Amino acid sequence: MPPSLYIGLRFTVSRKRSLAFSLLGVIFGVAFFICTQAQTQGFEQYFIKTILGTSGAIIVSDRFQSRFTSFDNTAGGTVLSGQARRKYYEGITDAAAIMRVIRQFSNVTACAPIVQGNLTAQGDFQSEIATIQGIDLDLHLQATSLGKQIVKGSLNDYRVRPAGLILGSLLAEKMQVTVGDNVTLIGVGGVRKVATVSAIASSGNNIIDDRRGYVNLRLAQSLLNKPSLVTMIVVTLRDPDGAPQLARHFEELFRHRSRDWQTREHGNLLIFSTLRLSAGITVSLIILLAGVLIFNTLTMTVLDKAREIAILRSMGYRRIDITLIFLFQGFLVALIGSILGAMMGALLTYGISLIPVKITGFFSTDHFIVSWNPEHYLYAVLIAFFAVLTASYFPARRAANLAPVEILRGSGQ
Amino acid sequence: MKKSAPIPVAPASETCLECDGLERFLGEAETRVHVLRGVSLRLERGHVHAAVGPSGCGKSSLLYILGLLDRPDAGTLSISGQAVADLPDDELSRQRNALLGFIFQFHFLLQDFTAIENIMIPMRQLGRLTEPEMRDRAAELLGAVGLGDKLNRPSRHLSGGEQQRVAIARALANDPQVILADEPTGNLDTANSNRVFSLLTDLVRSRDKALLLVTHNPGIAEACDWVHTMRDGLIVDHHRNQL
Repeated sequence: MPPSLYIGLRFTVSRKRSLAFSLLGVIFGVAFFICTQAQTQGFEQYFIKTILGTSGAIIVSDRFQSRFTSFDNTAGGTVLSGQARRKYYEGITDAAAIMRVIRQFSNVTACAPIVQGNLTAQGDFQSEIATIQGIDLDLHLQATSLGKQIVKGSLNDYRVRPAGLILGSLLAEKMQVTVGDNVTLIGVGGVRKVATVSAIASSGNNIIDDRRGYVNLRLAQSLLNKPSLVTMIVVTLRDPDGAPQLARHFEELFRHRSRDWQTREHGNLLIFSTLRLSAGITVSLIILLAGVLIFNTLTMTVLDKAREIAILRSMGYRRIDITLIFLFQGFLVALIGSILGAMMGALLTYGISLIPVKITGFFSTDHFIVSWNPEHYLYAVLIAFFAVLTASYFPARRAANLAPVEILRGSGQ
Repeated sequence: MKKSAPIPVAPASETCLECDGLERFLGEAETRVHVLRGVSLRLERGHVHAAVGPSGCGKSSLLYILGLLDRPDAGTLSISGQAVADLPDDELSRQRNALLGFIFQFHFLLQDFTAIENIMIPMRQLGRLTEPEMRDRAAELLGAVGLGDKLNRPSRHLSGGEQQRVAIARALANDPQVILADEPTGNLDTANSNRVFSLLTDLVRSRDKALLLVTHNPGIAEACDWVHTMRDGLIVDHHRNQL
């Protein structure tokens, strides 16, 4: 073992009580950091999974036509005045052709057409405005998680009925209807169709479950008076993170509005990332506090050991050796604190994942959702090492810069 | 201005440390003191030198400069013929570790370490011996100072005399050419003082080292081969004792 590390280790042992407080700070700081990041990212990932399951990674919708403004003449010369503006035309008229092209992209796993519009759903006791989606069930099941959202009834029943209806769980509750009940759908121009509730779906997102119903694509087109129109195409991807690039490409290719999930949910995602950052900063303060403690401990050690430092210098220890003696003590605290903190963080995370909790709104869950991400451990350890080594550096440098002659001159027993 | 006494030459001996015209100022501005005013000295192997003089005459300052812990403002310093005064700090540390041994009035052992661990500290820095070799050598040195039965005793549990003997053994750990001792017996009672001094001089002579010790004790000074008397930052007299 290098002599500086050997002496540093012995100094650490002799100061074990005061260093133990710093160590505890690092352990708890690292553990809490891991735990809070696991929770916030866990919920964020679950939210993303929910929105990808209900609305896909990309939604291709209205056709547009670019309208460029002309060059403006100004007093100072010619200036290109603006960016492209678009004129939108509702829906997609050539959905089948577009879907054929979309399926050619390697990142695309599935796509499904949807006709969407608002109409009145009338039950025996209650009428509600519903957002009806006309779907091709087989394609829709490939492109969304609707199959997993069914909480009552069956998709087979929906498949065999000519006018089957899948209702959002909250909407069904409001209308006081259940599987097997008839619902009259009143569309554009008063067109009426009677549909039978085949299944009830719960996406976990209250906004969706409160308004949405699914019927056959043709039926929806008839009700909404859009005989050959598709409102949107839902696209799912192998790598959802690649959605923005592909959406831009789709826009250029199809001249249809294409929105990736990151843009659609920008506001909500921002809330999650802000929460995660906020939790990270708050918990990092514990680690920084441990850094202050170790700074204090090592500064006291330097004062206490000034004579021994002078002796070490008289025996040929260089300034860098003295620096290493004290940095090593910090390193040891950071290392042990990180290892124990990571273990404690993993245990806490596991314990929290078992806590039952009922959450509905953005998504629905009955327990805490955590994310097991090695990056949380890496960042916690990096913060711990940065805080502790920075805190150790200043006392270490002070020790190295002590003038041995002045200490020896002034030393008595 | 006073002049330093001419340096006597010991023709049959090998000079291992030599300084010429050392000057040193301490403090700044109005408090500036000229503590060494051109000190010249030569230490030979196998010889014991004493530096004597009243407090504040510059003995300790001279010792720290000769021990490469402080730099002179003027003058030359060489160890085994190599000029060392202008070497970089790390090289001075290396020279201190390999060629010099220090003994202080207050033993200055590392309190958290045992006797044998204290002696191994300079050896670890030198890095020439393996762990078992260091342990064997440290045990041998402790045996030589009469502490062979207290190898693993924490230094804080040793008596003052024992601690100073550990400090002597530690000064010899890397087999240095020169040992510099700043009142090594100044904190001991007469019996311990005599014992430590005898031990030190015997070891120095038997191992062919050069020893310069600062002392206020006339009895100890008279038992040294050479006595260098200092006054006001100068060596005003060198004389050789007839032992």
